[in-house]
Amino acid sequence: MKNHNGIKILLILAIGIFQNGNAQTIDEIIPKIEIPKVATFQQPNIINTTNGIQTPKTPNIYNPNLSIQQRNQLLIQQAEQQMQQRRIQSRQLVQEAISEFHNPTENINYNLPNKAHLKGTEYYRKVYKELSAMNKNDYSVKDITFKVENAYFENKLQKEKFDLTIKQIGDFLLEKMDELNYDKNSNVAKNFILFQFFADTLQIKKKDLKHLPMKYDFDDFMGKKDWSKMFVTKLLRTNTGQCNSMPRLYLILAEEIKAEAFLSFSPHHTYIRFQDENNKWYNVELTNQMFSTETMILNSGFIKAEALQNGLYMRNLTKKEQFAHMLTELSNGYIHKYGYDEFTYKMIQKALELYPNLITAHMQLSNYNNLKFEYVCKQLGINPRNKKDLQNIRNYPKAIALLKKVQQEYNLIDNLGYEFITETQYKNWIISLQKEKGKQESKNIKETFEIKLKQNIFKN
Amino acid sequence: MKKIILILLFFTINSFAQDREKLYQDAFKQLTEMLENKQEINFKKAVFLVENAYLVGELDTIYINKQIHFLKTLCLGILKSRTLKYKEQDIQEINKYASLFSVMKDTIPMINQAGEKFIHLPFTYDFNDSFGHTNWKNMFVSKLLETKNGNCHSLPYLYKILAQEIGTTAHLALAPNHFYIKHHSLENGWYNTELTSGIFPIDAWLMASGYIHLKAIQNGVFMKALTEKESIALCLVDLAQGYQKTEFYDIDFVIKCADKAIEYFPNYVSAMILKAEAKGKKIENYLATYNKDFSSVNNFPTTRKLFLEIQNELTQIHELGYRQMPEDMYLNWLVSLKKEKEKYTNKKINTFTKPN
Repeated sequence: MKNHNGIKILLILAIGIFQNGNAQTIDEIIPKIEIPKVATFQQPNIINTTNGIQTPKTPNIYNPNLSIQQRNQLLIQQAEQQMQQRRIQSRQLVQEAISEFHNPTENINYNLPNKAHLKGTEYYRKVYKELSAMNKNDYSVKDITFKVENAYFENKLQKEKFDLTIKQIGDFLLEKMDELNYDKNSNVAKNFILFQFFADTLQIKKKDLKHLPMKYDFDDFMGKKDWSKMFVTKLLRTNTGQCNSMPRLYLILAEEIKAEAFLSFSPHHTYIRFQDENNKWYNVELTNQMFSTETMILNSGFIKAEALQNGLYMRNLTKKEQFAHMLTELSNGYIHKYGYDEFTYKMIQKALELYPNLITAHMQLSNYNNLKFEYVCKQLGINPRNKKDLQNIRNYPKAIALLKKVQQEYNLIDNLGYEFITETQYKNWIISLQKEKGKQESKNIKETFEIKLKQNIFKN
Repeated sequence: MKKIILILLFFTINSFAQDREKLYQDAFKQLTEMLENKQEINFKKAVFLVENAYLVGELDTIYINKQIHFLKTLCLGILKSRTLKYKEQDIQEINKYASLFSVMKDTIPMINQAGEKFIHLPFTYDFNDSFGHTNWKNMFVSKLLETKNGNCHSLPYLYKILAQEIGTTAHLALAPNHFYIKHHSLENGWYNTELTSGIFPIDAWLMASGYIHLKAIQNGVFMKALTEKESIALCLVDLAQGYQKTEFYDIDFVIKCADKAIEYFPNYVSAMILKAEAKGKKIENYLATYNKDFSSVNNFPTTRKLFLEIQNELTQIHELGYRQMPEDMYLNWLVSLKKEKEKYTNKKINTFTKPN
């Protein structure tokens, strides 16, 4: 049976290679598979494994050399031994019952219920394992993004298709750069074509290729009903997206055409930053396709000085920090699909290890702490929202410790300078972005770019 | 006879200068002791040490203490008479902050024991000589107490002193040419109290002013709640600035003050500028002894070295995100807060009270 399977695998691999029409011989490519040998068990030498202590030999009652009397004696002995054992066991049981009665918390589960048995969680565990093993300073944004989205879709997405789409867009952009006579060695020119891909209608007439501007999708823009709304695969499919998927696609495409661009946070928002030859930084706001100024971002009114001092917003994320951010997206998908459990906590912890002030991870951690505390309270029959009732947790040190954790995390988030924004406030802000007088300023920046690019200043 | 008078005059001037020097040295010593944990940190004491040194020991401490005592009593009175609509556990502290604000910015009717009616008027912003150019005393808390008119230096200082008096803390915070107050509450986290206009602006007011570089915020040059030691570092720079107002002074003392301030508040740009400018003067003095002007700065090893240091320091200041803000621009911006009150007011902070 095993051999049979092995042959099947070989056949499939062989077909794959023939399809590619590769000249290499099969022997070169297929790693020599060693068929695992069934381990033969050596009978353990009892005397050796027990450090020379011999196990006491019990006399065998079926020994034909024994007399009936001896045999009966032995039987009585054994029966007494068994009775003795049973007495000890029942005493233990009673003691356990008594101790439980005195200490009811023994039955309380201080961990959130494990969701590992739910269908599909295995994909998340697999991706988490893969991500954990990766180099956090050198990776492909494209690959990780795919893994994260694929975990949500239970491994049903096709990597080849995704890669091909990205490659086609990359080729399209490079070709367009040629057509527009942009310098393909200039980081600014590359970033500008990326910006145009999102903002303008780009066309290569001779090939009859056309790409229309991407639009902000106001419908369920926080992915509450459908988390996959946040995904790059959704953006590619519909040409509409939001502040998560658009900058992410930008980064993936930047990776593809080898442009340098950075991700940056503002409250509940991400945008792109890149630098020109004179070390000037530009902020690209993809949701309204504008170049925004720092003042515009600050003027939203949601950013506290402490948040900036603690590195929450408005700075380039390092590779490692961006990795942490993508980890929280993995955990976020898991949360939206299955909720919180100890595995969620593991993912959050990992993200915070890489980027200790990552605010999204802290929010998740805070939710986790809350849920855990409420879960324990429920088991104890305490209503945590009732101040008087809450007093009753004083008898349960572990519950008190959990409450302390909840409060500590609240304080930490406060001290980091995070400011709570309601969904309406956020939506109004996004809408205001589209209308903002900053449009003029953005237009000016864009025009200067166009003039510069036409003058080929970026060309060497 | 004439000679005698001249000699006498000379002696008095001399002893006057000696007193002054001694007071400055003593103030420096005491402030340093506070920083080095050899003396308890006392912001009120620090501020008045500085003012007294400038006034050559003529600070009217009796009057000041009486005034502060009166304001403290007023604060405690308000504290007793009202409670805020605020639900978190730190309500006692928040009540204190609110009472401080009322004493600084509200008109409060009072009745004394004899049954006479009084009105306590708010402290106001003095647009004349906001930077103490004509008279350095205009920066002082003692001047504010005397005239009820102050600026963005003396108003937050007095607020902080009163906070200390009623047993709480207020944090000073910096903006370009400006000081304001930061408090922390459980409900809203950090929030600002702006005493020049008497409102609670959100951070965007300062950030979007266009005068603060993002880097300066990120580096904590501006808009950071200062610790007690950092506040003492501010006093050290105040001390040196007052010291520089006379015609003859010891540049090294100025540098000493700046260095000590930087030691405990590394990103305090005013201290860095003070130091760089002092070094500039040192170069000038040195060159003057050789009858040379600044163009020959690189011809002497001493001045070349100093000049290099200054350049490094200025680069560092620039790197931190500091940009100079012209004074008239500052005043316009300050007024803007009142004009754009709606946009920049922190609507979460209020002083609505519920009756006790």
